[in-house]
Amino acid sequence: MPFLSRRAMLRQTACGFGLMGLSGLMAASSGESREPHFTPRAKRVIFLFMHGGPAHMDTFDPKPLLTRDHGKPLPFKRPLTFAEGQTGSLFKSPWEFKQHGQSGLPISELFPWVAKRADDLCVVRSMVGDSVAHGGAVLQLHTGSNTFTRPAMGAWFVYGLGTENRNLPSYITIKPGLSHGGAKNWSSGFLPAQFQGTAIGHGGVSIDELKQPIEHLRNTGLTPEQQRYELDMIQKQNRAHRERFQSDPELDARIQAFELAFRMQTEAPESFDLGRESDATRKLYGMDEAATRDFGWQCLMARRLAERGVRFIQINHEYGPGNEVGWDAHSELIRLHTKTARMVDRPIYGLLTDLKSRGMLDDTLVCWSGEFGRTPISQAGDGRDHNPYGYSMWMAGGGVKAGFAYGATDDYGYYAVENRMHIHDLHATMLHLCGMDHKRLTYFHGGRHHRLTDVAGEVATKVLA
Amino acid sequence: MMPVSMRLRGLFVFWLALSAWGAPPPEGRQIWSFRPLMKTEPGKTIDSLLASGSAAAAAKLTLMRRAYFDLTGLPPTESEARAFLADAAPDAYARLIERLLASPRYGEHWGRHWLDVARYADSTGADEDHRYPHAWRYRDYVIDAFNRDLPYDQFVREQIAGDLLPAEDGASVNARGIVATGFLALGPKLIAEQDKVKMFYDIVDEQIDVTGKAFLGLTIACARCHDHKFDPILTTDYYALASIFASTKQLAKLEGTVSELYVSPLVDKPAAEAWLGYKKKVADKQKEIDEVVGRESARYRETLAPRLADYMMAAWEKRSNAAGLDPAVLEKWVKYLEPGQDRRPQLEAFQNAADKAAAARQYQTQFLAAMEARKDKSRKFQAGDDRFYSDVAGGPFGLPKEKRGAEAATLEAELKKLKDAQPADPPLACGVAEGDPVEQRVFVRGNPESKGEAVSKRFPIVLAGRDQAPITTGSGRRELAEWVASPRNPLTARVMVNRIWQWHFGEGIVKTPSNFGVLGARPTHPELLDFLAAKFIESGWSVKAMHRLIMSSAAYRQHRGNGRRLQVEEMRDALLTIDGSLDPAMGGTTQSGVGTDKEFSDDRKTQDPDRSTRRLVYLPLRRSNLPSLLNLFDFGDATTSCEGRPSSNVAPQALFMMNGPFVEARARGLVARLTGSDAERIEQAHWRVLSRPASASELRDGLNYVAHFPGARELAWTSFARSLMASNEFLYVH
Repeated sequence: MPFLSRRAMLRQTACGFGLMGLSGLMAASSGESREPHFTPRAKRVIFLFMHGGPAHMDTFDPKPLLTRDHGKPLPFKRPLTFAEGQTGSLFKSPWEFKQHGQSGLPISELFPWVAKRADDLCVVRSMVGDSVAHGGAVLQLHTGSNTFTRPAMGAWFVYGLGTENRNLPSYITIKPGLSHGGAKNWSSGFLPAQFQGTAIGHGGVSIDELKQPIEHLRNTGLTPEQQRYELDMIQKQNRAHRERFQSDPELDARIQAFELAFRMQTEAPESFDLGRESDATRKLYGMDEAATRDFGWQCLMARRLAERGVRFIQINHEYGPGNEVGWDAHSELIRLHTKTARMVDRPIYGLLTDLKSRGMLDDTLVCWSGEFGRTPISQAGDGRDHNPYGYSMWMAGGGVKAGFAYGATDDYGYYAVENRMHIHDLHATMLHLCGMDHKRLTYFHGGRHHRLTDVAGEVATKVLA
Repeated sequence: MMPVSMRLRGLFVFWLALSAWGAPPPEGRQIWSFRPLMKTEPGKTIDSLLASGSAAAAAKLTLMRRAYFDLTGLPPTESEARAFLADAAPDAYARLIERLLASPRYGEHWGRHWLDVARYADSTGADEDHRYPHAWRYRDYVIDAFNRDLPYDQFVREQIAGDLLPAEDGASVNARGIVATGFLALGPKLIAEQDKVKMFYDIVDEQIDVTGKAFLGLTIACARCHDHKFDPILTTDYYALASIFASTKQLAKLEGTVSELYVSPLVDKPAAEAWLGYKKKVADKQKEIDEVVGRESARYRETLAPRLADYMMAAWEKRSNAAGLDPAVLEKWVKYLEPGQDRRPQLEAFQNAADKAAAARQYQTQFLAAMEARKDKSRKFQAGDDRFYSDVAGGPFGLPKEKRGAEAATLEAELKKLKDAQPADPPLACGVAEGDPVEQRVFVRGNPESKGEAVSKRFPIVLAGRDQAPITTGSGRRELAEWVASPRNPLTARVMVNRIWQWHFGEGIVKTPSNFGVLGARPTHPELLDFLAAKFIESGWSVKAMHRLIMSSAAYRQHRGNGRRLQVEEMRDALLTIDGSLDPAMGGTTQSGVGTDKEFSDDRKTQDPDRSTRRLVYLPLRRSNLPSLLNLFDFGDATTSCEGRPSSNVAPQALFMMNGPFVEARARGLVARLTGSDAERIEQAHWRVLSRPASASELRDGLNYVAHFPGARELAWTSFARSLMASNEFLYVH
């Protein structure tokens, strides 16, 4: 068969963090070239994950008929909801929408800062997923599957794209949550372990409590000189050991891994040091205010990592102390969405603005999405329930149409009705923007070829610039 | 335009029709692994069947280290290693194997191998990652089964249907058997899935998957939506098995937003019923209290409500001694009205009003109306229907505990008494039990909404034939267990001996240990596989007999170029052995409580292996949050049956060795145990870390190292110890 078993491949290759991409892997196995499938528009992805599910009719999908019919019963059959028995009548958005920028893209007053970047956004108003509960929905957004454990999308991206910086992980997730699948959402699944995401901190843990961005990156007891002295001894022992067992290439690989680790620990900490950023930059991301400090830190960290060649960066807004339930406003929509939007609005503006001014937005695909949207009918009187049947996400940069809205939900925002974009389609489109054909990015496991998009997915060509 | 999914579905149905039409009946599609075991000519041995030639035997100490790690997952102590080297008797090696097989450390290591196959973990993973607080009993059962060399056929039977088998000791409850069914019960589950039928059949599917792969080496679950694309397993075979697991009790309660996990009491029925009865009594008492407090709260609220506007104004104006107002209540009002960071739309009319007094009166009117409306018990109200009302009724106007009446106090006292006298929970297990029988139909394309033909409980036709004794009572798990564990089932023995071989040699005779189907690998030595399987059955399914047989072969004892990297458990536990800090305690749970954790509690994270000195096998595994150490060293994900761990080689592993506080602590610990001259200390360090003496040049290098280290002497020794621990020689077994 034209592939190596995972074991054989790992035995044969020396690698750092995701040193091999599809490129290395294919070159090592079937002789395919290391070129992307076609010219990529984006070199990297920054994914802003809004855990909990922001309400689309309160943010990026204005619904005048919902306002008009506020308080009336839903005029069609209600689909399966999460909170059976607690849902009520049509519930208008408490926020005003205004048109912004040259494009006139409507954005609600929940996002006054992001609205200033309206002309960069490509809003998809017709997202569809298959799960009405967080667990399945979060897993599906991250892995394509809402049941099985599959590799995370970030793992697929770096498997396909390879790395630009051997001294850093190529897939980093910043402050991910531990609930609703936890580490499954950044794991490499059946892909080789070097494609797994590296987590910096965790949701619910303030940046002040973060001692080291990456585990074991710093030696606390030795000077670099002493550590080099020690490493020389290790390598001397390793070479002697290798001579006794000459046939094993894995031993060579491990000797190289130690050298790589040594370089990494001297070079990588600089990447994580936000102290090197100017006050003006930190302010741009809202790091001067308590409410936006943590998320601003995450966004600025993402930009530094993007500059240094990290391929897939996820920024998570999570549930947790200080964030309460985040976007998951089953009740008290006004209080919770106001609070949560405020935490992320200015930092996201800062990120987009900064990327643009550095000329990085063109080849960076920025995505913003929850695991689903919320219902146009109320829950518990003043909240909204989960809605995977139609919701909004947006992309910016990286080859998408700017100042553009794609797809539509019905009059009230319950179902996607025009240009439906299933999560599989989103994945296919994101891969396409990065120069990969989702049907050709495969990995052989358990007797068959697997894809991020399983047996589905269509590229939404209308969103391509 | 037809949606994509519809078009795909159309194509799929067409393809299905074609393949059903073209596929021969399963009996005609026998594959190698389904044939009865070949008879081996007498006199054959592993070595003659392997025909591997005569490679040089491994050096004595290399072989010793291999045997220690292969059987116990730990290195020898310095004195054990020295004693073995000094033992010149011809049976020294055979005695070593016996000693290792008799060590309780053996079951911990081989139990862990099986736990990989059984995708063992202590939480549901998937969505909510709820704890399985009793799963550890299954882990202990597995360790004990290997230690006591429980015949493998019995091991299989117990894991599928142990709850239905009589207790070996004649006890009224087969506790061991119930615990063994944890194999079925502790899989990943999406218990917050709202499509409950889908959720239930996902659980069933997961059980078919793990049962098929673990015992039979078959990917039966592939036949959920269509006849297996490659193996002769039909969709009807799948649903015949599904009806067995669907008739098994999986959950205490399926309905509800989050389904409730089932726990098996390990006591007889009357005792279990008494326990549940008492729990209900406590719950009923609490309910009674809630009702009384509810009535008292309503009365309290009614007395205060007519003065709501006065409270609001007094609070707004911060008058603490307003006439006729309860100061304690007023204080709560002050707190409630304090402006905060958050928007509170329910207070905005008041906050923005120019005439506060008028606004307060308006709020009072609304509150009284809301209170009145809620007296109509036929109407259902939710907290957000009137957020101000809910805030105030539960806040400033909420009945404080000290103001509860005599009736509530009496009931509280009764509850306390009940709780004080409550007997402790009986021992509980994470297991399954017999459930309500299900009339199973084929679900066309796996969709429970789309019902096809009815199926009865039976086993796959290709293996068990069409003339199967009908299963008429119970779930059928007992019959399934007997069929799987039968010596006539060609797969069961083959699959297990292949696993044992793989765990000794790094690769199986069949290189796909959980796939003996068409897409799996062919055995490299079919005769050897069948020879071992026959020996296995002959020995009474003794796993330890297999170790003796395999480890006494020349093939096992020969020099090996390619090393095997230690598994994460071996590496970590070995480091703890080296500095003498490994805690040999066996079994039990290291977690407290039995409840599901709060969303943000620290328990969500698995316990940090850096901070425990127990063997790693005893630390709980939270599926959604495995410790980073496990992810770093290829543990896998404990979500699907794992047939073998990969062995990756990445820089972060080197960082763990160079910079990790755990390795540093072990290095310091080792140095503290070294005694004598510098040369003697270097010698001891080699024995402890590498299980061999230092060579002359290594001794010289070591002395040089500590003498010329650019820093303090103590640091030099720690650094030297760590350099041995970080070396390839430590991490690989040859």
